[in-house]
Parts: sequence; structure tokens; C-alpha cells
Amino acid sequence: MTVVRWGRRTVLGVMGAAALALSAAPAFAQSLEKTSIGVLALASSGPIFIAKSKGYFEKEGLDVDLKMFTSAQQVPVAVASGDVDFGVTGLTAGFYNLAAKGAVTMIAAQSRDEPGFELSAYVAANTAFAAGLKKPADLKGKRIAITTVGSTFHYMLGLLGQKYGFTVKDLTMVPLQDVPKMTAAFKGGQVDAIVAPVTVARQMVADGAGTIIGWVGDETPWQLGALFTGPKTIAQRRPTVEKFIRAYQTALAEYHAAFNTKDASGAIVKGPGYDSLLAIIAEATKQKPEVVAAGLPYVDPQGKLLIDDVVNQVKFWQAEGQVDKALDAKSIMDLSFVK
Amino acid sequence: MPDTSLPVTPAQPVRFRGGGFTVRTHRWAALLAFAVLIAVWESTNRFGLVSPLFLPPPSAVAKALGAMVADGSLWQHLKASLMRIGVGWAMGTVCGMAVGFAMGIGSVARAVGVPLVSAFFPIPKIALLPLFILWFGIGEPSKFATIGFGVFFPTVIATYSAIDSVPRNLIRMAQSFGLPWASILRKIVLPGALPGILAGFRITASIALILVVAAEMIGAEYGIGAFVLTAGNLMLTDQLLAGVLVLSLLGLAIGTVLSILERRLLKWR
Repeated sequence: MTVVRWGRRTVLGVMGAAALALSAAPAFAQSLEKTSIGVLALASSGPIFIAKSKGYFEKEGLDVDLKMFTSAQQVPVAVASGDVDFGVTGLTAGFYNLAAKGAVTMIAAQSRDEPGFELSAYVAANTAFAAGLKKPADLKGKRIAITTVGSTFHYMLGLLGQKYGFTVKDLTMVPLQDVPKMTAAFKGGQVDAIVAPVTVARQMVADGAGTIIGWVGDETPWQLGALFTGPKTIAQRRPTVEKFIRAYQTALAEYHAAFNTKDASGAIVKGPGYDSLLAIIAEATKQKPEVVAAGLPYVDPQGKLLIDDVVNQVKFWQAEGQVDKALDAKSIMDLSFVK
Repeated sequence: MPDTSLPVTPAQPVRFRGGGFTVRTHRWAALLAFAVLIAVWESTNRFGLVSPLFLPPPSAVAKALGAMVADGSLWQHLKASLMRIGVGWAMGTVCGMAVGFAMGIGSVARAVGVPLVSAFFPIPKIALLPLFILWFGIGEPSKFATIGFGVFFPTVIATYSAIDSVPRNLIRMAQSFGLPWASILRKIVLPGALPGILAGFRITASIALILVVAAEMIGAEYGIGAFVLTAGNLMLTDQLLAGVLVLSLLGLAIGTVLSILERRLLKWR
């Protein structure tokens, strides 16, 4: 019987072997240019997954490493610190603060809330619904759970207020950090309503916890997310950025044709390649295809940003005192790549 | 001619050589270390070695803190957090000491308690937050519960192991002198366990400070933890560090109070 004794030599030997194994990682023979992008494992990053899976990046001569993040907050930080070259995620006050310090620049659009497309929902709790919370305009004066101050949910409520003549000060926003805690507070009857992503909203309706009273896309279409990179990358590696955008646009057009096509009556129909593209996104997000299919957001086929909305977002955060007043929205977008 | 015969030399004073590792107080040393640290930190920014986004200079942190003092928000945040820490810590400590005493004295309570404490102590309280919201709502009770739960288990462990370490021979002596049970408890076990319990307080006070940030994840508008979280979400790194500074100053203050308490209560040593 042999007994491995974890002495100093054994431990050092194992550590040495591990270090050797790591350093002998496969060296790439191809001459593809290496670059990386930070994404969340969500359907809204679908076009990136498609471009990667269908080889559009490689066709442009890029070897793109997808780095998965768990919260939208981390992605622009990773771009600012240089851990990834590109990032694609939702636009928050934190993003604009990084942009104001010259750390990130928007170069193309990600998903957006668009009329007729179900992406973000206003969900009323049962008691509040019974008490008369039937439409988005009724949210004035209610207690609403959000993730954090400065989040996309915060802006969506501000935007709704701009439409119906109230401000976020007329609401009680309850910051709960993440969607599971929002769900818990909602189901526990602690808040009157939440603004939730479509998959979460549908789940709540299925659980009998609330009623969807409207869609953000129908009320206030807005630019939810963007593709961005560091100003340094644009200055020093402009051809790389151009190649990246070309591959991204090819995937965007394909995504748009497959998932964002409407028939004459305005209903969304399955476009060309629907099933194969859905399978790619389902695999990348590790979710069932039917779950992904219920929450496929709208994207612009060319990746054009809703510039007026971005300007409005910056103005909103400045009015809320969360973004530096000196920031000019135009200075944090580089529109030379997407024409 | 000098007399060199050794045995008759008069007694020489012998230098005291035993004080090698005696702790002496160097008040200035700690202050100097802080001053040097802050100077180096500030200069890395001044000379452009580090971007202020990644590590804001002390001057920016001081300015952020100054702004909080000026608009009065610091007191609002401090008041909210101190109330949560105070109530949560007190609840956790009172319950923890009661259970710890029971486990220290009664063998049945110990047999039941030790595995239970081992099972529940390592549960991360942050993972339970969604449940706490369902059980206690999003008001103050869930925040007290988060801190209370975090403080409870270390207090139990500190209390019962402190009672365990009371010298057995003192208790046996009291028993052989026929001292009543309550008297042994009050005059021997309690004072004997006090140093261990107070050491436990130091740990639980720090845990309470750490957990106030977690507790204020739940729908808190004011509070140092909520302020730190918001600053982090907004990527306002100078405000983030200002909040962290307030938390560590709070820790320093609580530590000082406990030191005074130790000196008062443990005079008998």
C-alpha cells in the first residue's frame, strides 16, 4: 500500500508540474489577431454569440475571446482596466461616469426597447393591481423595486415620468441590488410594482404573483445597451475596431432578419435561420431555447444608436446628480464606425 | 600600579538585560506610518503614475468626505447605520450569550448546540437575503436580522469556549468549600469567562460592521453601507473610498470603546 505523504517536496512538485502544464498551453499557429469582448450570458448579447459561432470574426481575421461577466456593472470596468478590448452591455449611470473619465466610448448599438417588442415589462403586484394599478401611468406615487440607483430600471422609470409628467421623486424606488431580491420583495408583497426583464416578468405571471400592465418598448422606446471600447483602442487599433464592427453588423443583420421580422398585421414572425440562430444563443446563454425565444430583444440591423435617447440619458443622470454636469453626451460616442 | 587581582574588585552595577522584547509605546510611529502611506498614495496620483479612476488620491477622498459633512448626508447615513448595527448587534449578542451560557454550563445544551452551531455558522448571510426579505420584509427588521444572525454564532462560540476555559480547580475548590451553585456562577465562572467573551465582542463588532453593508443591500435609502454600494454602482470611486474610510473609522471607534470596557471590567486581573 502506498500512501502519498503531503510533505514539502510533494507539494512543491505538484505546484511545479501545474506551472509547467499551464505554461505549455497550446500556441496558436494561425495568424488571427487576438482581441476580446466582455459580455453577459443574456439573449441581448445574441449577435456577438452568432458572430463568434458562425465564424464572422474569423472571416475578418480576428480571434475574439468571449469573456463572460455576471453583472452589467463589471463589463465597462473591465474595458477601462484593459482586461478586455470591447464590451457590450446595458447603459447605466456607472457607465456614463466611466465614459466621463475617458475610459470608454460607445461605437455601436446593442438591444433597445422598441414598440411591439417585449423586452422590459411593468409588472403590478396583485394587491396593487386590485387597488387600481392598471396601466404604466398609474405608477406615479407607488413603491417600485429596482436593482440599484443609477441602473437601467431607474432610467426607465425616469423616462416614464418624462412621458406622463412626473419625476422619480414622485415614486418610492426601493433599491434591492439584484433581480432575485427584487423578485423576493415583489412576491412578499413589499412593493407595488417592478420593472422586470421579460423572462422574469413572465415567470411572475406564471407564478400568479402579478400582472404585466405594459411594456417599456411601447411606452418609451430607448437605447438599452451599446457596444463600446476604450478610446485608446480606437486611437491605436482602428483597423481592428473596424473589422470587429463589420463582423458584428453581419451578425446583427442576420439576428434582425430572424427574430425581429413582423408580418403585415404587426405580429412577430420567424425569419430565415430562426431555429439555428436560436440554438446558438441558447447554447451560449445555457438556457432552454423556448426560454430564450420568449426574451429576444430588438436590435438595429446596422447597429445604429438612438442618439437622441443617449443624449437624454446623460441629461437625466446629470439632473439626478449622478453624472458629472460637464459631460457632453456627444463626446462619448464615436459614430464613425457605424454609418 | 593598579591592582588587577579579580576577586577583590568592588561590586559592579549590572546592566539590566532582560527587557529585550518589552512592548514600549511608540505613538508617533503609527502616525508616521500613516503619514508616509498617505504621502506616497497622493504622490502616485500627482505624478500621473496611477489614474485617479483606479485609485483616487487621498485629497479627492477627503473632498468627497468633506462634501458629505457639508450637506449633512454623513450624519444621516451614520445615524441609520449605527442604529442598525446597535440593534442588530445587541440582539445577536444577548441571544448568543444566553445560548453560549447554556452550552457552557449544561451538558445537554452543549450536545445539542455544538453540531447546530457548526451547521449554521458557515451559512453566508448574504445568500439568505432573499429569504430574509420574504420573512422580515424590506424594512428595518430584515436588516437587524442580517446583522443579528451574523453576530449570534460567533458570540455563542466565544461564550461557551470562554466558560470552558475557566480554571477547573477554582470551581472544584469552591465546590469543596460548599459554595452554592449560583454563587459559583456569579463569582467564579462569570468573571473567569469575561476576558474570552469580551474578545468575542471585538470580533462580533467587526462582523456587524461588515454585515451592515450586506444588510443595506435590502432597500436602504440611507446608511454608510447603502452609500458605499451606490458609489460602487455609479463608479464614483472617490465616494466609495470615503464611505470605506468612514466604516474603518467606525471600527476604530468601536475598538477603542471595547478597550476601555476591557480595562474597566477586567480590573481584577
